[in-house]
Amino acid sequence: MLVISCIKQVPDTTQVKIDPVTNTLIRDGIPFIINPYDSHALEESLKLKERYGLRSVALSMGPPNAEATLRKAYALGVDEAILLSDRCFGGADTLATSKVLSAAIERLNKQDKVGVVFCGKQTIDGDTAQVGPGIASRLGFSQLTLVDKIESIDFLRKTIKVRRKLEGRHEIVEAPLPVMITVVRELNRPRYPVVPMRIAAEEMEIKVWDNSVLKLDVNTIGLKGSPTWVSKIFSPERDQGEIIGDGITDPVGTTNLLIDKLLGKELLTV
Amino acid sequence: MKTLLIGEYREGKLLDSTYELLGFAGQLGAETAMLLVGSETQLPSYGGTLYLADAASCGEYNPDLHKKLILDAVQKENPDYIVFLHSSYGWDLAPRVAAALRVAQLSEVIALADGGFEVGCCNAKMRRTVKPAAGRAVVTIQAGAFPALQPGGIPLLQKLSAAGTAALEFIGYEAAEKKDVDLGKAEIIVSAGRGIGKKDNVSMIQALAKALGGELGASRPVVDAGWVEHSHQVGTTGQTVSPKLYVACGISGAIQHLAGMKKADFIIAINKDKDAPIGEIADVLVVADLMQFVPALTAKLAKQ
Repeated sequence: MLVISCIKQVPDTTQVKIDPVTNTLIRDGIPFIINPYDSHALEESLKLKERYGLRSVALSMGPPNAEATLRKAYALGVDEAILLSDRCFGGADTLATSKVLSAAIERLNKQDKVGVVFCGKQTIDGDTAQVGPGIASRLGFSQLTLVDKIESIDFLRKTIKVRRKLEGRHEIVEAPLPVMITVVRELNRPRYPVVPMRIAAEEMEIKVWDNSVLKLDVNTIGLKGSPTWVSKIFSPERDQGEIIGDGITDPVGTTNLLIDKLLGKELLTV
Repeated sequence: MKTLLIGEYREGKLLDSTYELLGFAGQLGAETAMLLVGSETQLPSYGGTLYLADAASCGEYNPDLHKKLILDAVQKENPDYIVFLHSSYGWDLAPRVAAALRVAQLSEVIALADGGFEVGCCNAKMRRTVKPAAGRAVVTIQAGAFPALQPGGIPLLQKLSAAGTAALEFIGYEAAEKKDVDLGKAEIIVSAGRGIGKKDNVSMIQALAKALGGELGASRPVVDAGWVEHSHQVGTTGQTVSPKLYVACGISGAIQHLAGMKKADFIIAINKDKDAPIGEIADVLVVADLMQFVPALTAKLAKQ
């Protein structure tokens, strides 16, 4: 049985800067990382591999340079890494992305039954939280979102029991396999690659599946198959608060100014 | 234009944030109908059509049945937009509905923008204007992004029922963690963000909170790192607060955090980056090194 993790290569948004003149993202020199939520998905697929002897496969849709992300997945211990890459996949929104990933999962399912598909709960560059559920409904898999603990899998009854993280409480729920699970950070702590694995990963083959393999109708994927489009990316208007004092060169003097402000607003009880 | 608003009912209560759906529809200038899986004893103060199913028989959350109820109402109302709150409920249910209807979904909308919807991206550093292709779309709105609108009146009830077995089996809830603090009632909150650098520095922020007579709050990364208990977390995944004074220390201001504290009467941000998004909603910004400024402020307050 297979356990699949869907991982996306994203720009490290903690390092993204905005060009003050053009008001657009400065992408030059921004490193790419595995979407942080997806690294928890990957980690959990490795845990299930170790716990139940499942075969772990990492899937990523992206440009050819997303290969680096899949190599990292090899270094962490996945059995197989596949890059879904084709010019006609580009410009896809979440619906079109889930279509390509679903086609790849279906193809894998013909070789060996898929039991669990893990996705991050959202990406840090897109934040839509829809690709995982899109895969679930397309393939008719059970959908479990916001999962922070895998309790157990019962292979006889073909069910999985998990804990979901809701507002201020947790829910325990059981669903039939196969299942698509989106994960939150609390689920696990991703491992670091060890050096011998990292070296070995350099030699591993990353399969590339393009549309000659997946054979999807080009009108239903990529930009053409996307029912939403982004008309504008911009930096929010900054209606700055009042900067008081100079806290860097004169922290003590600035505390006086701040305290005066608080007294003026009657926010200090003297 | 017509919207079908999906209200929310949790642990036997209608959520107040349901009225934010009406605020969204109001800004859109759209007609409304509402759907609620809840109880006749907890009706919203709203005079429009309300499709009501009984949570006692359908379950507070049974995704398959709830989806079926919504699809039923969609067929009757023929709405342009089906609108959810971006809560764990909307998070799980909205994409199921979008997939069943084969329509686009726009997640965590913050504002309306010429013919489209504004959503955050890149950790709230940027926003995008996203437009759905012609036709219907599913939308989830961010908590606190739209004003609650309570029109009053008694809903025109249309009762729905759904039957069928559930694919998922609900086993139970785990008790919520004990809260050692109720930030919702605090008048003064001093919050620590990633900018504090390490766990040892939480005590420095705690000391400032004490000097101001307030409670300690925290942003999500600080809670995720295990530096501060979750009960202190402010934001859409923590608590929404509205104190008289909110002091944000080393918090850059992710959208989810801002949504949780922007109702504070007076906001002070202490941050070394003057361009951090927190400056957008702060009344006063102190650009400083926390390690120098916060202890100096605490000492000065102690002398007052």
